[in-house]
Amino acid sequence: MPTVSLRLYAGLKDMVGARDLDLRLPEGATVGHLRERLGDEYPAVRAMLSVLVFAVDEEYVPSSHLLREGDHVALIPPVSGGSRCSS
Amino acid sequence: MFVLTGDPLDPGPLVAAVRTDDVGAVALFFGVVRNENLGRAVRYLEYDAYPEMAITKMKEVAGEVRAKFPVTGVGAMHRVGRLEIGETSLLVAVASPHRVEAFAACHYAVDRIKQIVPIWKKEVWEDGEEWIEGNVPDVPPDSSRS
Repeated sequence: MPTVSLRLYAGLKDMVGARDLDLRLPEGATVGHLRERLGDEYPAVRAMLSVLVFAVDEEYVPSSHLLREGDHVALIPPVSGGSRCSS
Repeated sequence: MFVLTGDPLDPGPLVAAVRTDDVGAVALFFGVVRNENLGRAVRYLEYDAYPEMAITKMKEVAGEVRAKFPVTGVGAMHRVGRLEIGETSLLVAVASPHRVEAFAACHYAVDRIKQIVPIWKKEVWEDGEEWIEGNVPDVPPDSSRS
């Protein structure tokens, strides 16, 4: 049962009300499982799940990425750095 | 030079960091906080970031720029925290022997920073606020093992 550390940003952090969360996942859990689990535990974030991406060790990872004990997982909403000029 | 800071951005050191003696042009982009968006008056912006990964991804953008354009120097700075109208949120500097490549490479770098660097802005209006959802970064394809 690996426990992973989650870090939340921007609107997601506000919705959940925390910057950091620990979550215990079943053995063999992937990023895809984590996404489902987040929707179960935090209904407020469900609307954002389809556009949320995940990063482990500062790299974006796909849904198939296997999570391990002690992983630090960043939950990345659509990014919006810079000014608004080119959007 | 790749920097994320809560302090006002100064272009001088960034230009100095990318310029070398073989450079004929430095293109410098300022992203500046504007007082309205979609017809709504903006009071100020608040930026959040994943600092370590933001630096990693800015460097990745610089690597892409160097692979695509004949440039000799690339640097970027992004501000975080609360920014007032008129303040600079993003600086990108690209140095090249010639101006055409410097402009094109700088344009590309700004677009990519806005696509993949984990930084977010919240607009604060008179009557509310909203985190702006911009671009969903590209994620590597699924594989059976990872």
